[in-house]
Amino acid sequence: TKMSKIFTPTNQIRLTNVAVVRMKKGGKRFEIACYRNKVVSWRNNIETDIDEVLQTHTVFTNVSKGQVAKKEDLIKAFGKDDQTDVCKEILTKGELQVSDKERQSQFELLFKDIATTVADKCVNPETKRPYPVSMIEKAMKDAHISYYYTFGIPLMQALDVIPLLKATMPLERAQMKIRAVLSGRDARKLRDKVAKLATSLESEDWDGGKLNLVCLIDPGHYREVDEIVRSETKGHGLLELMSLKEVTEGEELLE
Amino acid sequence: MRLLNPQKLNELQRNPNRVRNICILAHVDHGKTTLADSLVATNGIISPKMAGKLRYMDSRKDEQERGITMKSSSIALLHNKGGEEYLVNLIDSPGHVDFASEVSTAVRLCDGAVVVVDVVEGVCPQTQAALKQAWLENIRPVLVLNKMDRLILEMKLSPLDAYVHLTQILEQVNAVMGELFTSEVLGRTVPEKSQSQIDPDKASSLLYDWSAGLEDADDSHLYFSPDQGNVIFASAVDGWGFGIEHFAKLYADKLGVNEKVLQKTLWGDFYLHGKTKRVMKGAQEKAKKPLFVQFALENLWAVYDTVVIRKEKDKLQKIADSLNIKLTVRDMRHTDGKVQLQALCGQWLPLAKTLLDMVCTKLPAPCEITEEKAEKLMCSATERFDSLPSDTQKLKSVFMACSSDEDAPVIVFISKMFPMERRCLPQYRSHPLTAAEIAERREKTRLQHAQRLAQSETPFSVEGCGDYVNPGTHLLSSGDQMKIEEQKEQEQNDADAFIAFARVFSGTIKKGQELYVLGPKHEPQSALEKLESGEVINPDLTLKDLKSGQHITRVKIDQLYLLMGRELETLDSVPAGNVFGIGGLEEHVLKSATLSSTVACPAFTELAQVVVPIVRVAVEPTHAQDMAALVRGLRLLNQADACVQVIVQETGEHVLVTAGEVHLQRCLDDLRERYAKVAINASEPIVPFRETVVVPPTVDMVNEAIQDQNTASKDGDKENAGEVITLSTSNKHSTIKIRAAPLPTEVTSLLEVHADLLKAVDKHIHSEAGQQNSEMFEDSLSESQMVLTERTLKAIETLKEKLKDAFSSAGDEWKCAESQIWSVGPRRCGPNILLNRIPAYDHPSVWQRLRGSDRRLEYDSSFVNGFQLATLAGPLCEEPMMGVCFIVEDWTLAEETQLDHPSSRETTSSSQPYGPFSGQIMSAVKEGCRKAFQARPQRLMAAMYSCNIQVNAEALGKMYAVLGRRHGRVLHGDMQEGSSTFTVTAVLPVVESFEFAPEIRKQTSGLASPQLVFSHWEVIDIDPFWTPHTEEEYLHYGEKADSGNRARRYMDAVRRRKGLAVQEKLVEFAEKQRTLSKNK
Repeated sequence: TKMSKIFTPTNQIRLTNVAVVRMKKGGKRFEIACYRNKVVSWRNNIETDIDEVLQTHTVFTNVSKGQVAKKEDLIKAFGKDDQTDVCKEILTKGELQVSDKERQSQFELLFKDIATTVADKCVNPETKRPYPVSMIEKAMKDAHISYYYTFGIPLMQALDVIPLLKATMPLERAQMKIRAVLSGRDARKLRDKVAKLATSLESEDWDGGKLNLVCLIDPGHYREVDEIVRSETKGHGLLELMSLKEVTEGEELLE
Repeated sequence: MRLLNPQKLNELQRNPNRVRNICILAHVDHGKTTLADSLVATNGIISPKMAGKLRYMDSRKDEQERGITMKSSSIALLHNKGGEEYLVNLIDSPGHVDFASEVSTAVRLCDGAVVVVDVVEGVCPQTQAALKQAWLENIRPVLVLNKMDRLILEMKLSPLDAYVHLTQILEQVNAVMGELFTSEVLGRTVPEKSQSQIDPDKASSLLYDWSAGLEDADDSHLYFSPDQGNVIFASAVDGWGFGIEHFAKLYADKLGVNEKVLQKTLWGDFYLHGKTKRVMKGAQEKAKKPLFVQFALENLWAVYDTVVIRKEKDKLQKIADSLNIKLTVRDMRHTDGKVQLQALCGQWLPLAKTLLDMVCTKLPAPCEITEEKAEKLMCSATERFDSLPSDTQKLKSVFMACSSDEDAPVIVFISKMFPMERRCLPQYRSHPLTAAEIAERREKTRLQHAQRLAQSETPFSVEGCGDYVNPGTHLLSSGDQMKIEEQKEQEQNDADAFIAFARVFSGTIKKGQELYVLGPKHEPQSALEKLESGEVINPDLTLKDLKSGQHITRVKIDQLYLLMGRELETLDSVPAGNVFGIGGLEEHVLKSATLSSTVACPAFTELAQVVVPIVRVAVEPTHAQDMAALVRGLRLLNQADACVQVIVQETGEHVLVTAGEVHLQRCLDDLRERYAKVAINASEPIVPFRETVVVPPTVDMVNEAIQDQNTASKDGDKENAGEVITLSTSNKHSTIKIRAAPLPTEVTSLLEVHADLLKAVDKHIHSEAGQQNSEMFEDSLSESQMVLTERTLKAIETLKEKLKDAFSSAGDEWKCAESQIWSVGPRRCGPNILLNRIPAYDHPSVWQRLRGSDRRLEYDSSFVNGFQLATLAGPLCEEPMMGVCFIVEDWTLAEETQLDHPSSRETTSSSQPYGPFSGQIMSAVKEGCRKAFQARPQRLMAAMYSCNIQVNAEALGKMYAVLGRRHGRVLHGDMQEGSSTFTVTAVLPVVESFEFAPEIRKQTSGLASPQLVFSHWEVIDIDPFWTPHTEEEYLHYGEKADSGNRARRYMDAVRRRKGLAVQEKLVEFAEKQRTLSKNK
């Protein structure tokens, strides 16, 4: 037994193809040994064969040292001692050591997510049609932008990406269409304020001191416009969102 | 230029009797362009030595590289036939199936066709297609049996064997003609039959009538036969060709036989009696040489034998002398026998002369247009000629007259627009300067010089002069302007000009004339009415200003051209009966149009489309900023190619739809180099699929019967329990019970074939629903709408009958289904049915208009829309469904009061948490349909190509291997008589067809050449979600089915392309991963 304490490269057993899932429960640490790149699939219900996920149906306290968890500890923490059941619980709830391919696929997913969000939010200003996602993806790659897959939600990153992409291609945020009904003495003053924020005015109707204004605004200005209309008219004004994004819809046969 | 001077040309053009408009049609590689070469050579445009090698009509770079023609192009040739001069407008057309649309554009402008057949390969699919097209357009064909040299040198047939082979080929061709003829005659008798049904007494004689039509009709004129002078035996590559009259003339004197007798007997089972020197019948019986063998073929064989095979030069000289042919010393010295052969045969049996003589005598002049053709041009098959307005009907006589008088109305048909580099146009071409021009230039430079001098002097004189305008700045700015203009001109020169490929049917078109441009959808009836009501057509309108419903613009004719293959010559006017080009119509014509001086002229019927565009790719610019250039390029491409479609999808993708792989390649090349001039990425081809459900299979994947609980539960209504989906709308006010079932195949195909008809029915019912005046109209279809023609109504009736038959033969389950059809989808004309089996819901079937007082009718359209949405995108991979029937078992609405409450929803949207009720029904139906679909065994359907492969016997096995690997299936393979080639007909999934042609060519060392045409949809009989579950399947496939599931693979590929979630494991086999860590 003393021999095994000597730590030389020859008798060092490396854990290969192993991903450890840990869980702390009842003040004890439990671990299970899984195959790499399989745990996420299990959690997403894509892999249904437990034997393709678990290396062994054994609960450890330390996988790399090969220390198996005691039965009484299991009962104390989980209320059961069936190894497979406990393994399954740890699999779904434990902290996971993300493997290479899983990380890569997560990154790709995020990248795709950002691209889809950008494609969804922006249009080609010449045609008022969205760009295909594949084109946005390519432009993002060409622009050498870095993304943080642990950091920030895709939407926020997408909003950061848009100005960078504008440098390489004609691109702009799809405009929101709003209708503002303003009345009272300040109507004219307010109209100017709103018009300043709008990219274009679609229609403007004065009806006895009551203004009906339809305009396109950048979605980033929506809150501001909302604020203006609400606070300065003291509730008399009305702001209505007519469409979230103005894009040309439907298939079209090019002629 | 050349042999054609403008006066003579004009003279010829004015006389329609001396004009021939012909096109060359054939299967790919049967020698159309080579044949055209030798014709072109007669006019001195290319050297006769180069004829057959140059392929003059293939002006595109890729055409030359690939060796196939990709577009139809025209050339005007002068031919002198026995002192009479003719103008022949020759149109060369492509033979590859991908460019079949180009053939249609060519055929439309012609009066006659030269059909070329390779004597070794015989009648091929495109030969049949060409003959059919010529038939449909009522143009008369003549036949050229090409590549005779291959019989001699390649197949090494004896003259007698060759004769037998030739008769067989001729029979094949005539069989095709006969088939076309019978099908038309039968088609013609059908309407007569329905008329005679009025009289019941005649019914007994009906059976007889059918065949009588066939027997009465005279068909002798339509077959090809050498003794009628409409067949030529030729070798275009060696430049010779002959009809039998050549030899008849030659031997009539020698043998002392009447030339006319010889003409009749030279082809056929006749022989020359040795002693009596008389022509006798029955050569075959008496084992004698037929005349054709003795006099024509044996001579030819002898020539080939001496010149090409044995290379006896002294003998060659002897032959030449006996034929009165002079060979140049240079030819005689040549070591290549082929050159001498060409020199000899070219003079002995000149191909071009023979062919053009035949064209001039056998093919009709433009003024000989038949009544039938005139009618066919003017109205499509679904309408009746009598239904056209009377003004239009009068134009028929104008067509027939083909007059180029001043007062004859001008009628011009444009069949396509083709691009031409602007600097190739005659008005931009550099030409030698005249003396006056030179003088003018000299004057200009002298002036400039003087000005420059004055300018250099000014600094001394200007000082202090207040009102003096510095001429220098003025000069400079004008110079700048000139530079800019030059630049602009340069740019314009780089851009392509579009030339309209057109023919005058009546009147004379002149430069500066103002004409109406009638779009393909133009209807004389409504246009005339509009004109009467005082509407004026604005002369400034162009195509893009037109609103829907408007199809007329006005244009001033700017440029007229004579088409000379790669070049154009300007013309001032073109009289009736000629093929020519018009410049400057880009803004007025999209793909085809009619030009006329009267609005009463109908739009010419649409070109018969032979190919279904099936290959789709998404295109995008490599650099995002080039998007605008790409869109502009796509527009131009669309204009130039009749068969291309460009669709802008909702996602912003530009999808290019083309006929096949070769066509796609050409389109992409054109985009890159010609129209968009930017780098372009094309996606992988997007292949369409269909989704369907099937009856639960009775055998598993290893053909073992499935015998578990499925069969046990068959009895009783348990069967339906799992399949009926019950669904409520989100606000629980409505409940739907729905079930999916596979439609009988006959029904599906009926619906598919009659999609246009269904669309018409739907359009008509909808248009009426708009003006809902339910008391005014009766609901029965025949009375409700006068716009639908008699014929369409009849077609609807027959469709109903056929559906009834199909349903009743499909079993009890489908009893009376035809009257329960609620809707068809997707897009209201597809091959899926929504069936109304709701108890006590009296809904009229799809054939009738909505009517009644059921409360549910209010939401009827939402219900149908839900179904339409569901069928448009199935749950497997969002592809349209096909052959699925959704049976609605029940549909309940909550009490009136509950429903009424939400009807006030419009004002306060917040009180309606689930949105409008109609929308809820729509989504519930859609969801229900999808779930019902998923409850049944689901299958993918793949589009199938049918392909015809000509393959040599030794390459047959390899070809089968390639087909097998791509999941193709051989339908039949026949050996061609007298050769070692097999003609194999196979079907192949479109999705597996990419790179098929190159692969099969590689595998068989170029011995097989496939042609792919879309044929039908076929169910892939594998469940996309299949995994082994019976014992036998485990044994056969293992636990994981590692052989891969084809349907699954297709499905996942589509899903991935569309950005849908794909159920895919990162790693399939956990144990098989690389087991070492990276740093070890």
